[in-house]
Amino acid sequence: MQIDKILVSIFQRAFKSITDEMSISLTKTTRSPILCEAKDFVTGLYDAKGQMLEQTENLPILSFSLGPVCRVILEQYGTDIHEGDVIIHNDVFTMGNQNNDVAIFKPIFHEGVLVGWSAAKGHQADIGGAVQGGYNPNATEVWQEALRIPAVKLYEKGKLRKDVWSLIFANIRLTMVQEDIKAQIGACTLGERRLQAFVGKYGLKVFESHKQALFDSTEKMMRAEIKNIPNGVYKGGSMVYYDGKHKGSKFPIRTVITVKDEDITFDFSTSSPQTKGFVNGIYTSTCSAITLTFLQMVNPTIPHNEGMIKPLKYIVPEGTILNASYPAATTFGNHLCPQVADAIFKALGPAVPERITAGWNHLLCSLFTGNHPRTGKKYVDICFLGLKGGSGAMKGDDGYDHIGMIDASGGVLDQDYEMYEQQTPHMIVQHEYLCDSGGAGQWRGGLGTVTQIMLRGDDTTMVVFGDGDVEPNYGLFGGKGSVLNKIELRSPSPTLPKGKGATNARGGKNKTTAAISPHIRGDKNGLIVPMSKDIINGIPNNTLYLQIAGGGGGFGNPKKRDKERVKQDVKNEVVSKKSAKELYGLKK
Amino acid sequence: MRYNVGIDIGGTFTDIIAVSSEGKTIVHKTLSTPHDSSVGFINGIREVAEMADVSFEKFVASIDAIVHGTTVATNALLTLKGAKTALITTKGFRDALEMRRGIREEQFNNHYRNVTPLAPRYLRFTVDERIDSEGKVVKKFDEKELLPIIKKIKEEQVESVAICFMNSFKNAAHEKQALKFLRKNLKGIFVTASFEVLPSIRFYERVSTTAVSAFVGPIVAKYLDNLTKKLEGINYKGTLLIMQSNGGVVVPEQVKKNPAVTVLSGPAAAPTAGAFYSKMLGYKNCITADMGGTSFDAAIVINNECVTSTEGNINRYRIALPSLDIITIGAGGGSIGWINEGGLLQMGPQSAGAMPGPVCYERGGTEPTCTDADIILGYLNPDFFAGGKLKLNKAKAEKAIKAELAGKLGLSVLETAAGMYRIINSNMAQGVREISVERGYDPREFLFIVAGGAGSIHSSEICKELEIPMFLVPNVSSIFCAAGMLLGDLKHDYIRSYFTSFNHLDKKKFQTLLNEMKEEGLKALVEDEGVAKDRITFHPILDMRYLGQYHEVQMESDWEDVISFNMDAIFDSFHKEHNRQFGYSLKEEGTEMELINVRLRVVGKTERPKFLSGKIKPVAVESAIKEYREVYIPETGKMKKVAVYDGDKPIFNAKIKGPCVIEKITTSVFISEDWDCEVDGFGSFIVYERGKFPKGFKSNQKLS
Repeated sequence: MQIDKILVSIFQRAFKSITDEMSISLTKTTRSPILCEAKDFVTGLYDAKGQMLEQTENLPILSFSLGPVCRVILEQYGTDIHEGDVIIHNDVFTMGNQNNDVAIFKPIFHEGVLVGWSAAKGHQADIGGAVQGGYNPNATEVWQEALRIPAVKLYEKGKLRKDVWSLIFANIRLTMVQEDIKAQIGACTLGERRLQAFVGKYGLKVFESHKQALFDSTEKMMRAEIKNIPNGVYKGGSMVYYDGKHKGSKFPIRTVITVKDEDITFDFSTSSPQTKGFVNGIYTSTCSAITLTFLQMVNPTIPHNEGMIKPLKYIVPEGTILNASYPAATTFGNHLCPQVADAIFKALGPAVPERITAGWNHLLCSLFTGNHPRTGKKYVDICFLGLKGGSGAMKGDDGYDHIGMIDASGGVLDQDYEMYEQQTPHMIVQHEYLCDSGGAGQWRGGLGTVTQIMLRGDDTTMVVFGDGDVEPNYGLFGGKGSVLNKIELRSPSPTLPKGKGATNARGGKNKTTAAISPHIRGDKNGLIVPMSKDIINGIPNNTLYLQIAGGGGGFGNPKKRDKERVKQDVKNEVVSKKSAKELYGLKK
Repeated sequence: MRYNVGIDIGGTFTDIIAVSSEGKTIVHKTLSTPHDSSVGFINGIREVAEMADVSFEKFVASIDAIVHGTTVATNALLTLKGAKTALITTKGFRDALEMRRGIREEQFNNHYRNVTPLAPRYLRFTVDERIDSEGKVVKKFDEKELLPIIKKIKEEQVESVAICFMNSFKNAAHEKQALKFLRKNLKGIFVTASFEVLPSIRFYERVSTTAVSAFVGPIVAKYLDNLTKKLEGINYKGTLLIMQSNGGVVVPEQVKKNPAVTVLSGPAAAPTAGAFYSKMLGYKNCITADMGGTSFDAAIVINNECVTSTEGNINRYRIALPSLDIITIGAGGGSIGWINEGGLLQMGPQSAGAMPGPVCYERGGTEPTCTDADIILGYLNPDFFAGGKLKLNKAKAEKAIKAELAGKLGLSVLETAAGMYRIINSNMAQGVREISVERGYDPREFLFIVAGGAGSIHSSEICKELEIPMFLVPNVSSIFCAAGMLLGDLKHDYIRSYFTSFNHLDKKKFQTLLNEMKEEGLKALVEDEGVAKDRITFHPILDMRYLGQYHEVQMESDWEDVISFNMDAIFDSFHKEHNRQFGYSLKEEGTEMELINVRLRVVGKTERPKFLSGKIKPVAVESAIKEYREVYIPETGKMKKVAVYDGDKPIFNAKIKGPCVIEKITTSVFISEDWDCEVDGFGSFIVYERGKFPKGFKSNQKLS
């Protein structure tokens, strides 16, 4: 069939408009703040073979999360796929990416023929398991983390399977999750209607041939980008610290990247074996991390469809920390993305220094639950605003301040301060850029932040999970690293709450480094520094929470930085006079 | 004879419309004078006087009101040439303005930078004061803390100061105290505080909006002072009214109090005019589409009212004041065609603008644009662009398309131009889809009104893509915004935050908040703007949501229902509105609801001008045919010779069969193969799919 090149452009635009519209629908109809505020979801359209037509990721970490599941479903159901079916899935051992990320798939038919799929996957506020919210630092097996949902039909030929629905939601704590799943089904129905109308307008033949032409064109763009990387074998690595079980434990991530003409292979085979705790990735989450990192190195306007991923090869063997074997705990897996990104940037840095960034800040996150004294109700708070550090600098550009980890890349918004103080019992004392937190360099790393919050709930529990508290975000080509992530509590009473970190609160490596806050200086009582994976119970009212989110690494020798920019940074008090003199060589 | 005058100042042209008390309408375009736009403003009035055949002095004396839309604030934000601005805020919150909640709009683009903060960090000062979430003072504010800040502000020659303290929406005492002290001690410097600009919950939206107000404040004030002086200079005794972003008008003194209300002053007039036209034609709902040189604006009118939103951004700066909901996309006559690395043709968002402009303008442009394609497709007449004032070079357009695009695509010049036309139409259709479908409205149920010079040669294709059966090109299409300015009411928006579940709502407090806002509105309208009380109406809006939700619904209510606390009516309309927007309500479940903000819009109705055409004798349709020309027919993909009508001839109450082109000095209309056109009694064109002219459509009814 003759290809109408102009129509191919219109196809691209139309697919994107559908997946965007599905995302808008989800933002407006979901209830959990992780979905409607942090937008931790993806909407996509796939063809009958499970090839990506387009998707709207919202968070980059979901960039590879739907395709493998779609193919699992196709294989599992074969010809038993009908109009009106709705399929649900989260199982990480059949190509899910994280237990909490629950996908809905809806087949799309045109005149009785399967022509595609609409899909929506979102991070649910609860998914069963031992701990509400799913992040269980004590987990060693998947069942301690979540309910496993392999591909199951929720609707068959348009009819709700009430028994299946009840079985699933009998195992999930919050009724909100049911509403959010309904919202996902709604978004898929919207995508179904739109694609159906589209195929109806152009006919199946034109749809098939022009869709393929779109893939080919996108693949060509991607291959052109890869061709610009010199052929070679590149090695890079990074380190994961502490599995939540064994103090001082560390696990290397290693990548070998082979570039041959227009193909690129990412091989992570030599990475550490899987851990006994929940600090494990899974194939789909690791491939998402690889994809999003590479996408940041290429033309950002490349459409997101099958053609984009076709030239990329992933090797992530089972049994490694990036693809743990059944039945390992893996909820932390998405948060290994920063280390995967670090390894890739470090590997390709020498080959294409202008395309990579220095180290981004890693996630260190806290989640509070407790009783709200003003409302008498339970409250949950994921402290988004405290966790977001800076991005690494790159050639020609300073890093982005307070953007958060690379897996979100500025997609997760801070809570509004005043709304936050209405909805939680907490009072924010400080949330500001931290001076000297961006790694020094000819291009400076993005700034990190300092956050202080007075905790005013009753019977508060804090779950901590993350990283970045041991090794600074690295600088490149003479650029310096950044400050470390840190969380600490200053309780008003000398009785310390219980947590793994409680014992090393006084002294040891994690000792507070003074002078960030006048509230903390000189006070030796009631200090607690949690571990990077930790649960702390019984935090008393009026405990001061301090969090530092590190900046990004610097790029290039800081002495070469434009002196006017150094002066401007000093004037704006984001670089101290001392650093300006010592690191940047500013004379006066 | 008394006149009302609307003036819209654009980048190239200043559009003027004068409507007399008897309905005589004079429409004029004069060149803008960017160095001092008041010069073009006065020139325009002078030229219109000549057209009205009266002396300048006499004409000025006969004007009751001049309504003006200004882009001064918009341009200050787009070019970052506003005042040198400082921000004073609560200790611990120095960076909220710059952080923008930590967003990066382009997640895969590591070269994408944050915006330049409107107040740089070294001019963001903090004071040790704190009010908690309940409005209680935690740390008392001491004015002495301002002394070193004042010193620094003077040293740095700051021109404008914004104040925004935490939780001031609950208790503004500290802000008031600081404002008073600073105004006293910073004479000649513009000072504003968040409780004056936007007294509502959400710190980021408030600090950002207040900073915008401070950033544009001195420039807007200077502009208005200069304009007022110039008008005094020509002995003008009537009223000067300024168009606001919310589609209403106010006197300059009100604008100076909160200059941020004018950031969308210009484009706000199009939907305002749309509301008027659709009502006149018997429609409740319409979509207005305005295609300019660089951008395409689409807006929506529901129940003859323009839709406002508080989700606005300009140049990525957040402005949370109620503004008309307008979608702007980068598609215009100057949009550049290019080929991406995958070999696919793309249009825009880069634009050649007015300078250097399309290749065919011969002003130095080398990249092929939408206008270049339109001329190859025969929709534009190279010898009659702007009535022949600007000669277009078709050969150059062809050469550029061939060199830059056609060769690489392996297509002919004509096929490439047709592709450019299709793609830009598809992009604009996407903009219309965004303003309608994505807001929960079906565009097929709307009258589609096309404004702007270039829009009407693209609109039938946009309509086809969205299955809209008809569009309207108003007789004043090219100066649609200027006309819209004469149609705006006096509008004042007020807001108070009251965050509570309805179960715990304090009735007295609720009513007090409403009455406070009512009094403020009355004061502004009656005392400052001289509106008679019987022309004033009150429109409460409640920001509500189900308990536990994050996104609230702005729900318009009835004043009587709200003030008398008629909860059943309020809850009922909330469930309905929620259902309309999101496809479900939780009425059956009995889910509790909560209130976030109470808003009040106070409206003073203005007299509507009567747009009547003169008593011109219509001519027969055939006599208006000026030539036959080859144009591109999208349905067949081929060129075809069609009739070209002179649209400036009085062809009223007539029917014109497609395919054809109707050419006016300021605009061209392309009517496609399966479409026809009716011309109404005022020279507006109603273009519709053949056989689908809507029954009961009142195209010729009397005005006003």
